[in-house]
Amino acid sequence: MHIVVCTKYTPDSEAKMSVDEEGNISWGDSPLIINPWDEYSVEEALLLRDQHGGTVTVLSVGPEAALEALKHAVAMGADEAVRVWDEACAGSDTLATSYVLAKAVEKMGDVDLVLCGKSTIDAQTWQTGVALATRLGWPSLMYTINLVELRSEERSITVERLLEEGRQVVEAPLPAVLGTTKGINEPRYTSFIGIRKAAQMEYPLWTLEDIGAEREKVGPQGSGVRWPEVFEPPAREGEAEIIEAETIEEKARILTEMLLAEKVI
Amino acid sequence: MDFGWTEEQRLWRRAVRDFAQNEIAPRVREIDEEEFIPREIVAGMADVGLLAPTVGEEYGGAGADWMMATIAAEELGRADISLAVPVLYLVEAAWGFIFYRYGSSGLKQEYLPRVTRGEAFLGIATTEPGGGSDILGACRTRGQRDGDRWVFNGEKVYISGVRESLDWGGIHLMLARTDPDEDAGHRAFTFFALPLKGTGGVIPTYFDDMGRMGISTGGFALDEVRLPLEHQVGELNKGFYHAMEGFSAARTLIGATCVGASEAALAMGMDQIKLREAFGRPIASFEGVQFPLANLYTDLEGVRLSTYKAAWLMDQMYRHGAATHHDIALAAAMAKLKAPRLGFSIMNEVADWHGAMAYTKECPIEMGIRGIRSYSIGAEGTPNVMRMIIARELLGKDFLPTLYTNKS
Repeated sequence: MHIVVCTKYTPDSEAKMSVDEEGNISWGDSPLIINPWDEYSVEEALLLRDQHGGTVTVLSVGPEAALEALKHAVAMGADEAVRVWDEACAGSDTLATSYVLAKAVEKMGDVDLVLCGKSTIDAQTWQTGVALATRLGWPSLMYTINLVELRSEERSITVERLLEEGRQVVEAPLPAVLGTTKGINEPRYTSFIGIRKAAQMEYPLWTLEDIGAEREKVGPQGSGVRWPEVFEPPAREGEAEIIEAETIEEKARILTEMLLAEKVI
Repeated sequence: MDFGWTEEQRLWRRAVRDFAQNEIAPRVREIDEEEFIPREIVAGMADVGLLAPTVGEEYGGAGADWMMATIAAEELGRADISLAVPVLYLVEAAWGFIFYRYGSSGLKQEYLPRVTRGEAFLGIATTEPGGGSDILGACRTRGQRDGDRWVFNGEKVYISGVRESLDWGGIHLMLARTDPDEDAGHRAFTFFALPLKGTGGVIPTYFDDMGRMGISTGGFALDEVRLPLEHQVGELNKGFYHAMEGFSAARTLIGATCVGASEAALAMGMDQIKLREAFGRPIASFEGVQFPLANLYTDLEGVRLSTYKAAWLMDQMYRHGAATHHDIALAAAMAKLKAPRLGFSIMNEVADWHGAMAYTKECPIEMGIRGIRSYSIGAEGTPNVMRMIIARELLGKDFLPTLYTNKS
């Protein structure tokens, strides 16, 4: 089994975002971390590798800062890591990013399964995984909450997807692109031995030429999304009300009535 | 001079901080009240590589150097200001290292993989009812050879991890007098690996501690306790010297864990003084509040640097042969002398900033005050013993107060 996990670096989830008058987004001096949703994908890949054997490769499109995400994944236990970057890629949307990812996966050649997180905590588009599956022409298994069975001999997989309407069990042939969601597993912490490997490992850098990607299909010219204006949303206004009552049960009853009246529950 | 961190050190600090802040910090009050460290926390520490991390990989350890072990101590102190988890960590890290360095291979194979998996405890037992600072005078526990066994009689007190060792299994490195000749001086003691669980003649007792409630403090009497010869750790009658090595390691980690707890307390205090208003302004704007902060932060940064220098010296000695135990003893004694006392001062100041709330259990600072007092009283060496070590390294052995005591 060769499992590829797509990952991205993001600012820490506690970072405070701000937008200046020119529309430039800043995350302050927040440390960079692996996109938290990707940790579920890395964990699932490691569990599959331990069960079926094979290799886990983490893949990221990004500048040098992307190494943060790759190192975290290797420290968790991934075997290989590849970074793809060219200055031309800056400003890529999901359409362009999925193109670069697809080209990198095609270059690897022997990939059985690609895992993605459900979204990234900075951009929150939820599209890259689906777009990647479409580009590769592979089944797209997004929002997977339970990997029921992987049959490496038969080259097929059964997963349980978490949808708004409920859960859906689907079977697909391999190779496929699988999007994980919270609850599929409990990602492990990085370990001392993993960190030693991550700190000492070489991280190959693939250029657009290396993966045979066309320059006009990446960056802003390869993207469908335009950003005519970026601004901070107006501060939300709200009010607080303290429920006064004799007993906690009474307070709970009043709160329930208020929530029902507001159609919150 | 390079004050930066290597890539490995940076990633390790982040890993320990992630784990400790997520899994330990939210449970510190629970640990303090329930008086034990949940086993899932210990198991998690094992997965991250935090149990006896300086033990080699062949015995399940991480093969960590002392800089890495010290970084972990600082982060664990930051997460648990009650210091219960840090005590578990640093006792096993320091004395696990001594056992790894001097223990018999069969016994290491039996215990170290279990210790590093969190399935057994490894501790230290030197203090006796007669004292802990004056080992020559106070260590009366006797070890005598009887054929293929060592036989022990005596008593050890104020020992960390007695309940843990009895519950989980494991060993305490116990110092015993093996040469009855009072003139043998420091060359009269030997270390032994004593399993408290399942060993006949071991009679445990417990003390109700003031702080760091999550890890037990106890003692045990030894009544004709018999151990096979392979339980001897290190050379016969060299136990005092092996103990000094372990104490230096432990003191360095104590320095770091007190620094971490102090940093957490100061961060908590700074949040408070920026938000708390009195007389129409944040109390952080008062000189009476911000000048003590500036002084304490400056002192803390100094102690932090000297603690990491001690760790660096240990790596110089154990990894590169470029320092001696004299260098380490001096640096570790300075860290141990300063860090716990400074931490106690910082926590008291931070308590003042919080006002009456600090005197309640709504505020975690009282756990810190109770916990850190353990290390500013003694535990791995009293402040005055640290001063004696520092003076010995500065003046030479000819001025050791013990020389004059023995002459009189």
